[in-house]
Amino acid sequence: MRFLLTFCLIGCFGVLSAQEIANRARQLEEKGQTGAARAMLMAAVKDAPNDAVLLTIAAEFLDRHGDPSTREVLSRLVTILERNNSAERGKFAKRLVVLDMLAGDTSAAQKHMAIYKAAGGTAAEVPIPKSELGADFQTVEIPGPIRSFSRMAALSPDLPAEDILPALARNIVTNGYQAANSNEGLEQTEYLKLVVRYLSQARELSKIAGEAKKIRVEQCESPVSADLLRALGYRMRGGCGAEVVLETVNASRAFLTIDSGFPIAELENALRANRLFEYAFEPTKIPILYGAEYWLGAREKQSGEFIDQYISDPQLCRLYLGMSKLDRELAGKLKAGIPVLKLKAFSHVLDFFGGMYTIKDGKAIVPGGAKSEAMWAELAGAPVSDAPAFFDKVTSKDDGWMASYFDSLSRISGPVQDYLTQPDRLKRFYNAVRGKVTSPGPARPVFRANTDLLLLTSRLRVAPDGKPHIPGNIEVWKQLFVKHPHGKYDGKLTKAASGWKEADDVIEALFALCRKAVENEPLKIFMAVSDMDRRRAKPLDSATVDRLAREFRFHSSQYSILNETGALSDATILGYLDTIAAITAIRDQGVRSDAAGMMQGLVGVWQAFVRQRAIADADADAILSAVVSPFAKAKGSREIFEAGWSGVQTLLKAAKTPENANPHDRMIDLLAGAVNPDDADSHTQMVQDTIRVLEAQRVISLKALGDLATHLDELGKGAKLDPGIVTRVSGRLSELQLPRAGLSGVEKNALLFGYWSERHIEFQRKLNLRSMVERAGNDAAKLGDVKAALAPLLRDTLVGLMYAHYAPPGAQILFTNPVFVRSHDFLGLQGSQQTWKQTEVVGAGWPANAGGRLVGSLAGLSYALAEAEQNFLVPSREQALIWGDLVPQMVQSAKIPRFWQVTPAQVQFVSLHLRMSEAMLGEAAIDPAVRSRFVDILSNYAPPARARMVGDWLAEGKVKKALENVTPSEFYAVAMAAYGQQAENGDPLALEIRRLMRAVPQEANYAAISRAFGSPKPTLTNSYTPELTQVRTFPTLMGYSSRIMAESWESNLLYFASVADSSYITPSQMNVAVPEWTKFTVERIFATHLEDWPALLRSMRKVGEEIRTKANNAGRAAGGTE
Amino acid sequence: MGALGWSVARSSVTFGQDSSRPTFRVKVDMVVLGFTVTDKKGKYQNDFKPADFRILEDGIVQKLNTFAAGNKPVMQILDDGTMRPLATGGGEEPKAGPDVKSDAFVGTNVFVLFDTSNYMYRGFVYASDAIADFVRGLDRADSVAVYTFSRNLNRAAELSRDRNDAIQGLRKAVAGDDAALYNSLLLALRDAAKVPGRKVVIVFSNGPDNASMVAPDDVRAVAEDEGIPIYVISTSEASKDAISSGVFKRLATRTGGKAYFAKTWQKQVEAFESIREDLGNSYTITYYPQNNPNEGFRKISVEIVNDVGKKYLVRVRPGYRPSRGF
Repeated sequence: MRFLLTFCLIGCFGVLSAQEIANRARQLEEKGQTGAARAMLMAAVKDAPNDAVLLTIAAEFLDRHGDPSTREVLSRLVTILERNNSAERGKFAKRLVVLDMLAGDTSAAQKHMAIYKAAGGTAAEVPIPKSELGADFQTVEIPGPIRSFSRMAALSPDLPAEDILPALARNIVTNGYQAANSNEGLEQTEYLKLVVRYLSQARELSKIAGEAKKIRVEQCESPVSADLLRALGYRMRGGCGAEVVLETVNASRAFLTIDSGFPIAELENALRANRLFEYAFEPTKIPILYGAEYWLGAREKQSGEFIDQYISDPQLCRLYLGMSKLDRELAGKLKAGIPVLKLKAFSHVLDFFGGMYTIKDGKAIVPGGAKSEAMWAELAGAPVSDAPAFFDKVTSKDDGWMASYFDSLSRISGPVQDYLTQPDRLKRFYNAVRGKVTSPGPARPVFRANTDLLLLTSRLRVAPDGKPHIPGNIEVWKQLFVKHPHGKYDGKLTKAASGWKEADDVIEALFALCRKAVENEPLKIFMAVSDMDRRRAKPLDSATVDRLAREFRFHSSQYSILNETGALSDATILGYLDTIAAITAIRDQGVRSDAAGMMQGLVGVWQAFVRQRAIADADADAILSAVVSPFAKAKGSREIFEAGWSGVQTLLKAAKTPENANPHDRMIDLLAGAVNPDDADSHTQMVQDTIRVLEAQRVISLKALGDLATHLDELGKGAKLDPGIVTRVSGRLSELQLPRAGLSGVEKNALLFGYWSERHIEFQRKLNLRSMVERAGNDAAKLGDVKAALAPLLRDTLVGLMYAHYAPPGAQILFTNPVFVRSHDFLGLQGSQQTWKQTEVVGAGWPANAGGRLVGSLAGLSYALAEAEQNFLVPSREQALIWGDLVPQMVQSAKIPRFWQVTPAQVQFVSLHLRMSEAMLGEAAIDPAVRSRFVDILSNYAPPARARMVGDWLAEGKVKKALENVTPSEFYAVAMAAYGQQAENGDPLALEIRRLMRAVPQEANYAAISRAFGSPKPTLTNSYTPELTQVRTFPTLMGYSSRIMAESWESNLLYFASVADSSYITPSQMNVAVPEWTKFTVERIFATHLEDWPALLRSMRKVGEEIRTKANNAGRAAGGTE
Repeated sequence: MGALGWSVARSSVTFGQDSSRPTFRVKVDMVVLGFTVTDKKGKYQNDFKPADFRILEDGIVQKLNTFAAGNKPVMQILDDGTMRPLATGGGEEPKAGPDVKSDAFVGTNVFVLFDTSNYMYRGFVYASDAIADFVRGLDRADSVAVYTFSRNLNRAAELSRDRNDAIQGLRKAVAGDDAALYNSLLLALRDAAKVPGRKVVIVFSNGPDNASMVAPDDVRAVAEDEGIPIYVISTSEASKDAISSGVFKRLATRTGGKAYFAKTWQKQVEAFESIREDLGNSYTITYYPQNNPNEGFRKISVEIVNDVGKKYLVRVRPGYRPSRGF
């Protein structure tokens, strides 16, 4: 932030006209000095508080950037315009109405609406929410405060009231029951037993609270205190008085007391002081869709209160969950037309797939539209025109296969949907995926089992001629199925493959494999190679595709590296695979491990350079080939060192390193992201962060290694030994003394069990370089041995650079375990062949080992490091749920993209999109036409049921609630679709978007934004290159848990861009800020279950608001007060 | 930072292996050392004066800077060997390094780390009672923080002299989930290291650990280097896992703390008494190390001058590694 500049501007330019100030502000804005522009405008407004022109300029500027002061300045402007009876007042009053509604300030919105109307504006009244509850809701009571119940039932206390029962249902379905040991039935898990016991205790406490619904203990010695303590499971130690202490007498009750958050410490204090203790203990009314009676109708036997019956019936819970996800209109019709018991029988299908069912004017909206309606009707056995009947059939037909198919096809749009829903194909592929035996269906397990179907339909590519893209050619796929490299995929498909003639045949086979519960390797191959082709101007040769397909099982994790850029030639890709084969063939495990590690480290540097454009796309192919190919010929350690060192030089040269530059410093500069950055502070911080990790890991510098290697060559030619050069390396090695002496016998035995292989580290500890060099003298062969000994050291330096590059915010292991980098295991357990596989975390939770470490290749290093370090993030509240898969992906998405190449215009471009959509949402509350358009567009990106719900909330005036249920990536997508029309309607933000697109077309375009603010998606797109795919947010999926969901979550960087814009943070500062903001976001997530993305959204927005407020306050403090 | 409990006292920035860039190898050179002295019967001896001790680091005799016995006020040792209270505000400020406050050594900063993982399910409430007892029994001069952990750390009550804060935080603990004891212990040590003065970490756990990514001995090294004793209070449950109980003992003894294994959580009175005695009877001294080329592990020993018959036993951490200032 450059507020200081403001003083100079104001001081230097003296008194300027409003237009001149506007021009200067715009110039500053275009240069990216938005903070200075703001400060200048606010100072001008402060000097001339009644100048309507200045206020207009300032208000428009603030609005463009989503500044927290916008409403304040706009309000002042409207007051002045009103006083002047200006015709402009209506326009700004309407804008204020929208901003008021977005802020949830209904009374201000009404006030400004009146001004708008008085100025001749026409709009509906500001809707006032009649009730927080939706029309279909009643309430049901649970004993005790919701805070306690939420703690016991593992529900986030931030859940909106209407979401409590669905969230509880999900917990009951996923965690409430387990297979009984004694019979085939289900028994309660410990989690559910505790909930049940808590309800019982809460009822006892309710009785003690009595009519007043307040637990009241007036003095220490009283019957109430005795009853209360008994119910709580405590007793007094010592008599009443200053020394009284509460101690456990009934462990299970006391556990509930503590776990439910009863204020036992406050009670103890009150008893000790013999003063009044009061605690409100009211039952909580929670919203229930359709009322309790409807749901209890699905129970054969009824006894007890609703909550008891609900949690004792997992299928009922699932029905509630399913119905709550449905479009409300459709749910109402299903409820009216189908007996609840029948619905309950298919609750699992509704739960997983019902969210994509859409109804309009009583008719089912089907994927493919009119052309496919007849076929859908034929397949389902009910007309599309009768939505309830149609969806009843879709749901109940084949244990969920048709519903799953419908769900997958509904999630996509455009040419791929057109292709797949062509009526003949629709039927053909449905038959393929359904098969003959339909049970078990894809909705039976706890996670959806239609992962492959979702991935196939969402990642398939269709060429402009309407045909699907088949990587290589059909022959490659035919041969893959016929001459399968590792055993048959499917007997029937193998037989049928010989007759394949067209693309549809291959696609049909892939659909058929989607129904199998086993590993679907052909589909994974298809997607991986399709993704590689997607980035390429020229598709891969069929021979390359064939080799990639056949080696997929062992080398697929490396394909994301080969997909870093679309510029790689077939020859380089094949050469890469050849090098892998050559290294794998090295028999000595230590040498092989060094070769693999060194090559992976160099390739990692290459990836970072390409991503950060230190290497031009045009050079990427030649450089990768030059880096990798020497390893194909290297057999011994000396050759491997030479190959590695040549790779270092190649990479530095490709990044235009001056002749005499220090290779180590230069490498760190380049990895940090920019060598001569405008923002030296951010760059220095990133460099320092890298050096801290390298120091903590005792990594030997490239310069020291390079100097020693050169000196060894010189010694071979008769030069005199320079001990200083040797000492720089050996001195560093001497620091490798570990604090792990004196393990007990039991521990040593445990270590022998398999986790501990420290030969690599031990070699370095024992390496006496100086003695080796001295003994070698000028003997070239012996000096060669010394050089060979440098191979493991160079490996660690390169691997260490990569670890430092991806070090997550809040990292601890990297600074505590000094051999974390050196313990990276490139071989894995014997027989596991992990050298080229995904990076994995192993060894966590084994108290006697060397701590956790990473195994496998470096392909997934950024994710694995984040996974290893994630548990060091400290949740801001006591019951946070850190998601196993979501957090590493969030951290990875904050670390891989760098913002040195991002321009201020791009940040503003994203921010304008988000702001324009949000404003559209606000306007939708008072304008039915805008509402209809907004919801229509939104339903292309969000589940239709949610989009419609958003529309309903807007109509009821619940704008804030609607706002909280749309993700930033959905807002961005809506703006992409709507900005043209909005601009035609005179929307100033849309006009600004259009202006930027015309002014800086190379920066303000959607492809550039995708690259700048996208996230890496190694599972979904087989690449770490950041991009925006704009797929709908995926659910959790079998085989991937929440990893694909996390990859499809594209909101973080888009949102942070808008935060940066409104906090006047430059793009380069985002390099430092985004990882920190991500850390704060993770620490504030308080989620209930794996799909609770609204919890993530809440946390992210909270962090964003804190940053905006802080920046706003800093702006005021710096002199730009308003 | 480093072997101290507060920010850099005298620091030096060194340069990297061969780079023109500073590499943040800041050496913080004031050492805070806590130790106890007992006679052969285990009775604490707390009447010694600074002149009674000889502190050696790698055999090099050190010159004491400050001295405190038990919870008595900290005294600055002047060049002539006399002492005067380390005061703040007004008058001449004794030079004890930057950021040092007079009450920095008054009392102990006690960080309680409570295992609330699934492993503690059965003993959770009893352990909670035991910790409450322990907190209540601390000397008034001590400050206490209560942290709980399972898979993640939770700072239930920040460091404070208010016992109610600590107990309220303790009583809000939520039970369940995996156990990342050593991860959490590391975070607790990192927090403790930021606090000036004497500090200890007291772990209430039955072990084992099934989620940590750091090894116990790496965590122990941090405690050694920061001069923070670790006390472990456990039950006989822990002995079912021989590795955990072994690690507990090693963590405690190598950092100058102790490990206790009572039969049940209700029977920890002895352990609490022993820790309280330790805290109340320990000596805390500070010194600036004499020149020492050793950048690795520096061995510390405390000798009692004139202890001819070797009547006394000194319990002190074995040494530390100078900070690298990461």
